[in-house]
Amino acid sequence: MRHFQRYIYATKNYSENLKELRAKRLEKNKTHVLSQEERVFFSRLLGTIMAHHNEDEGSVGTSMHGVTAREQVFSFSVQGEDDGPSSHTVRFDDPTAKFALPVDSEHRATAFKPFSFAKPHMRAFHLGWISFFTCFISTFAAAPLVPIIRDNLDLTKSDIGNAGVASVSGAIFSRLAMGAVCDLLGARYGTAFLLMLSAPTVFSMSFVSDAGGYLSVRFMIGFCLATFVSCQYWTSVMFNGKIIGLVNGCAGGWGDMGGGVTQLLMPMVFHVIKLAGATPFTAWRIAFFIPGFLQVIMGILVLTLGQDLPDGNLSTLQKRGEVSKDKFTKVFWYAVLNYRTYVLFLLYGFSMGIEMTINNVISEYFFDRFQLELHTAGMIAASFGMANFFARPLGGYASDISARFFGMRGRLWTLWILQTSGGIFCVWLGRATSLPIAILSMMLFSVGVQAACGAIFGIVPFVSRRSLGLISGLTGAGGNFGSGLTQLIFFSSSKFHTADGLSLMGIMGMIFTLLVAFIHFPQWGSMFFGPTSDEKKSKEEHYYAAEWTEEEKRQGLHEGSLKFAENSRSERGRKAASDGSSPSTPPENGNPAHV
Amino acid sequence: MAIKKLLFASLLICSMIQSSHGATKERLFTDLEKGSLEITATPSRTGEGVVLAAGIDKLSITWKVSSTATKEPEFKTIKVKLCYAPVSQVDRPWRKTHNELFKDKSCPHKISSFSYDPTVKTAQSFDYTLERDIPTGTYYVRAYAVDAIDHEVAFGQSTNEAKTTNLFSVQAISGRHKSLDIASVCFSVFSVVALVVFFVNEKRKAKIEQSR
Repeated sequence: MRHFQRYIYATKNYSENLKELRAKRLEKNKTHVLSQEERVFFSRLLGTIMAHHNEDEGSVGTSMHGVTAREQVFSFSVQGEDDGPSSHTVRFDDPTAKFALPVDSEHRATAFKPFSFAKPHMRAFHLGWISFFTCFISTFAAAPLVPIIRDNLDLTKSDIGNAGVASVSGAIFSRLAMGAVCDLLGARYGTAFLLMLSAPTVFSMSFVSDAGGYLSVRFMIGFCLATFVSCQYWTSVMFNGKIIGLVNGCAGGWGDMGGGVTQLLMPMVFHVIKLAGATPFTAWRIAFFIPGFLQVIMGILVLTLGQDLPDGNLSTLQKRGEVSKDKFTKVFWYAVLNYRTYVLFLLYGFSMGIEMTINNVISEYFFDRFQLELHTAGMIAASFGMANFFARPLGGYASDISARFFGMRGRLWTLWILQTSGGIFCVWLGRATSLPIAILSMMLFSVGVQAACGAIFGIVPFVSRRSLGLISGLTGAGGNFGSGLTQLIFFSSSKFHTADGLSLMGIMGMIFTLLVAFIHFPQWGSMFFGPTSDEKKSKEEHYYAAEWTEEEKRQGLHEGSLKFAENSRSERGRKAASDGSSPSTPPENGNPAHV
Repeated sequence: MAIKKLLFASLLICSMIQSSHGATKERLFTDLEKGSLEITATPSRTGEGVVLAAGIDKLSITWKVSSTATKEPEFKTIKVKLCYAPVSQVDRPWRKTHNELFKDKSCPHKISSFSYDPTVKTAQSFDYTLERDIPTGTYYVRAYAVDAIDHEVAFGQSTNEAKTTNLFSVQAISGRHKSLDIASVCFSVFSVVALVVFFVNEKRKAKIEQSR
């Protein structure tokens, strides 16, 4: 694609010159033989195309210098080409902009360096995932302290369960709205607004004195889980499509870790505050100030250190007219019409949803069932959430590997296997009566279910190109919906022992995972069926172009989708390689300007 | 492959540990000698509908060994505990009564524990101020007589067997403090104001840059 861009650049700028040269030649020499200047021009043009056809510039034999034997010895200078490894791009606007990472033509980074904090790409990545991490800490901060809170506020099991449902329900709506908010305000302000406007809700735990208050505060805190969307939006803007799967998997997984860290952090903070002299019923309220502080600090860091887009902040760029927008109604329409959206909504509900439910109930479960100390129960519960550090990226990676061999079918089977094994281990966790077996089953369960989350987001980018942002948001909202639903059914009444609730939740998860079999792509097939035999419909272009009306196609608005379709041929698996079509590169996804 | 073997081995070990654990823990409540200790708990404030305040009100606990006690020579320590009445256990499975002593959650709050002096035959009493971490609920008092190997052998409680008489209600402290409330409001206001200031500032700078 690069040489294609350079060709465009070259001909766009030089076509005027060429016309002039031709006119001059015809006027002066009245011959069809190319003039000296024209020959120089063409050699430069060809040199450009061929030199940059290869990854490394100027490989032997590709340059056309010397073809006419008359040109001056200078190379076609792409601006900043001599500036070093950061300039693999043609810069249309700002020749002085330098990036620490290699970037593509949209200035999105093409490499991922987790240990770097360089502006603007890696900084955005770290600010994004840490903000999301902080919000997870706040949302599930109450869970490990429930044994204390339930005594202070005289809660019943229903009260605790309902508050748990409330804590994840708010985000269903905020995640849906977040995509639009990021479009309007930019990812920076989207994140900062969430962090700093939900910090007061965290602080207001100090006012809570009964079950109703507890439920309302947990509901309000839960809104900040929409940072998932703003974080993924921010990384999608900053990172190239080839690596976005890994980047998003890491950002999502490391953010989800917050649900585990909070199970360790809050009991520790509570213990320290108790040592400092506070009674338990006051100490837990003070402990909530810690997540609150973290949120405010992160909000300020995001605002001062972050940047919306690689080239600057959104307000500046919008005024320059550089950021285009798609119509929300269209994007919404195509998301809603696609049945796969709903399947993914439910699937994520039983992977991420189950994970969030466990974050809410597992500490209390270990505390009660195995008579552990509060911080011991917290430590065990924490290891569930912390497995996210490697489990979710692992799931995304497994999905990518299976796609390399089996295409989309591989991705679907990987998802089914991971999510079903998660369900099996969840059932086992509920059955376990001794502590070591419970911990073992919990760890296997955590890896299965979290890897399934990563695998789902390996499939989401292919469902739609135009409505990607909205579908990502809807899938995320599905996670919260699943969590609310499972907590409501299994953990809010005294009908089930918590242990039975866990087993039944595992079974329900396995049943819903069967829905994976219904995801069918006409161009790639599904778990059991191959691609459609219809000649036209089995092309990737047909599927992605179907999201644009004829009128829009005439205006050429669907160009991005076509490019994506071409890149997505890798989802045919090994057959793609044997077809001789483009090499298996994970396609571009997530241009959120289209949301 | 090595990981699979490791997992399988740990599975075996775990299941063996599980089966061995079950053997020692089955001392039952029903095995204890009933009514060996006669115990009464008198709240500092009594009357119809009186609710005691945690951290403030007291219980005056009087106990003595009953004449019907047969296991009296084994008594080494007396443990007095505050227990939940059935009404406070409804919809709260973490306070459930179990027959297995190690599983029983109905008496989690320790009042006092002291060694038994067999020479003193008369009733003894002591005062207990309700701790500040006692939750809201309805309670009675139970005393366990524990032998030298820390196994309960007998008990007595201040209520009848159905746990309906002589119960008292406690109201927990709220845990709220004015200083905490004020700090909470201050930080919340700071958070919102900081955001607004940043936002307005940046909009202003963008406008200035545009007008240039």
